[in-house]
Amino acid sequence: MINDFYELTTQPLDVGAIARRVCLPECGATVTLDGYVRQFTKGRETLYLVYEAYEPMALGEMEKLGAQARERFEIARVGIVHRLGKLEIGETSIVISVSAPHRRAAFEACEWLIKELKRTVPIWKKEVYKGGETWIEGKSEPPAATGG
Amino acid sequence: MQILFFGATAQATGEREIEIDLAERAKASDAFEQILKQFPQLKQHSLLFAVNQEYAAGDETIQNGDELAIFTAVSGG
Repeated sequence: MINDFYELTTQPLDVGAIARRVCLPECGATVTLDGYVRQFTKGRETLYLVYEAYEPMALGEMEKLGAQARERFEIARVGIVHRLGKLEIGETSIVISVSAPHRRAAFEACEWLIKELKRTVPIWKKEVYKGGETWIEGKSEPPAATGG
Repeated sequence: MQILFFGATAQATGEREIEIDLAERAKASDAFEQILKQFPQLKQHSLLFAVNQEYAAGDETIQNGDELAIFTAVSGG
């Protein structure tokens, strides 16, 4: 598990810089997810989001996901950085970068990682929209109950 | 014992962190019941629990010094 990284920060994310940190000489491809704040969701206009994390547990869960991704996919290095605090429309909230000798494994691992992160990593977003605000509650089953 | 709230549960309780006293050899579910009694408004939410930063099923034995957390289904990303 060489130089994988899992981070939480309130600072703006530099997607390119994060992606370059997973590059290795034996790799041929890096797949990077740049997740950012959407203005319209189901017709409602978001003004901004506020992210909050149970930080030590979130980092622990992210690390577990990286380890599981390594078991499932032929990948070389994983980096996950999630931003916390107030984010404006279009600002990057999460970057997941995965490098691999061949691109297919990197694509599959990146997709798997974001899906699992949204299910298990204790981070929440508050949506502030025109006329109100609400903490978004995920739909997933409790990870403990599903063996996650 | 320290109980942590985040996001929707922090908003619902008006607390980020509280202390509760538990009998010896208590289970995590005993602590959660006590919290729900103190903050019945939490029952409107679908809740997840963690003990010492690991998801908990409820039958874990807990002791003073453990860190419990109560939160809603996660929504990061």
